[in-house]
Amino acid sequence: MQNAKDTFYEALRSRIAAGNPERTIVLRGQVRPGVLVEENELVTTVTMPDCLRLRWDEASVDAANAMPLVALRCEILYETAGTAGNGGMDRGRALAAMDAELAAAVNACPQFVVKQSYAALASGGSTVAMNTNVWWGDVAFGTAQVKADRVARTATVMVMSYQEAGEL
Amino acid sequence: MNVTTGTMPPAVRRIRAYFAPVNRSAQQPTIFDPAQQGLFDLSAPAAPWIDLGWISAFTRKSGTKIDALRAGAPTTVQMQSRSEIEATVSFQFSSWGKLQMALASGTQQMNLLAAQQGVAAAGSGGTAVAAVALESGSTATVLQVGTTAAAGFSVGELVVVDVDYTGQTGFVGSGVSGAYVKSALTDVDYVRRVSLNVGRVNAIQDGALTLESALIAGMPTAAMKVSGVVGFCDREGSTFFQEWSALFVAEGQQGERTLWHYPRLQAMTSVGEVAAAAGGLESLRQSAAFRALPVKDPVDGENVVCFRSFVAGS
Repeated sequence: MQNAKDTFYEALRSRIAAGNPERTIVLRGQVRPGVLVEENELVTTVTMPDCLRLRWDEASVDAANAMPLVALRCEILYETAGTAGNGGMDRGRALAAMDAELAAAVNACPQFVVKQSYAALASGGSTVAMNTNVWWGDVAFGTAQVKADRVARTATVMVMSYQEAGEL
Repeated sequence: MNVTTGTMPPAVRRIRAYFAPVNRSAQQPTIFDPAQQGLFDLSAPAAPWIDLGWISAFTRKSGTKIDALRAGAPTTVQMQSRSEIEATVSFQFSSWGKLQMALASGTQQMNLLAAQQGVAAAGSGGTAVAAVALESGSTATVLQVGTTAAAGFSVGELVVVDVDYTGQTGFVGSGVSGAYVKSALTDVDYVRRVSLNVGRVNAIQDGALTLESALIAGMPTAAMKVSGVVGFCDREGSTFFQEWSALFVAEGQQGERTLWHYPRLQAMTSVGEVAAAAGGLESLRQSAAFRALPVKDPVDGENVVCFRSFVAGS
């Protein structure tokens, strides 16, 4: 499952960066595309505005097939206060821009990529392409919510993959 | 084939339809070779295949009858035979265009040619404005009509490009047969009325009309003329049967593809729409249904109506 989660994150991050190179954040001193996985970061980063925060919640495994089919629900949370120069009056437009970037990234064809194993990175190795793909459904948008001076939204995407033999 | 996932059923999101002309006079369909073309770019099919976009409610039905031959006492099935071969396919188009309308109508589709002012009313369009002859240098995407005639067209306008009707009978229409003429008619614009050789003007400059996409019949001949089209019309009660070669592609999530190729599909229903709810409105989707006709597979001489292929992703 971890490989599927990591692969989807990498794919989404690349697509968001390609769609809007200016969507960046500074995290632990590094400038990077404005996409992060909450469980991979310090808890203090989880309300960072103007970026997409991935949160993995539900998971299921269908073992009735020749290969177990893993389905993971990914919540994508984002919020914005707009820009200070506009007194925050552009927060709705900023949220709409993030909606559009997310929809373009998730719904663009193909909605699958080759699954990668990132396990070797911890020991200085490189990623390894696996035998199967990770694929996902269309993005579903939740209602916009007001959080003090910010507007926020949570979108969800179902991410699926086959669990390969010996895979973590 | 990917040995890891070779046993898994393809998980497909949706199905895409491609159609290609059948030479009706020669009964020659367009054959798709999955061994050579199975992994083609879905957005750029090789000519003469035309991308008709995504479809929904794709349903195949086999009407093939298998009979048991019994003998002995008590009778026991000794062998089986196929007594009838039949297959149908139906679906709904997700997009609404000239070809989708023509295919869904099940019969000939008329181009509503721009009519002359004050002519008698006609259900499929009154007497048309005189067509404009093509000048030399015209191509499948650029129509040279001269600066004077070009001023009579506008960007975004639909045009049809085809020959004058001169009393011919049989299948008519360039590129694709748009109708079958049983007895001679008098309308000089009749071929342009039924032709599928239609394009949309994208730009007009120096007497040339540039089209958004290439004409289905390719480079126009010197005998062809251009008429403006204001819309399309099909008729319940019309007798012509559309016949096309068809290819349906479902791409799985491992990059594998299932392809259904019907070399000859003839329309088997009349025009109809289905309404799909969308935001309180009714979205009219065109439904289409076809009956498959046979071709002979040169590999072994079998008469078949459909080829289903599976190709693994790269």
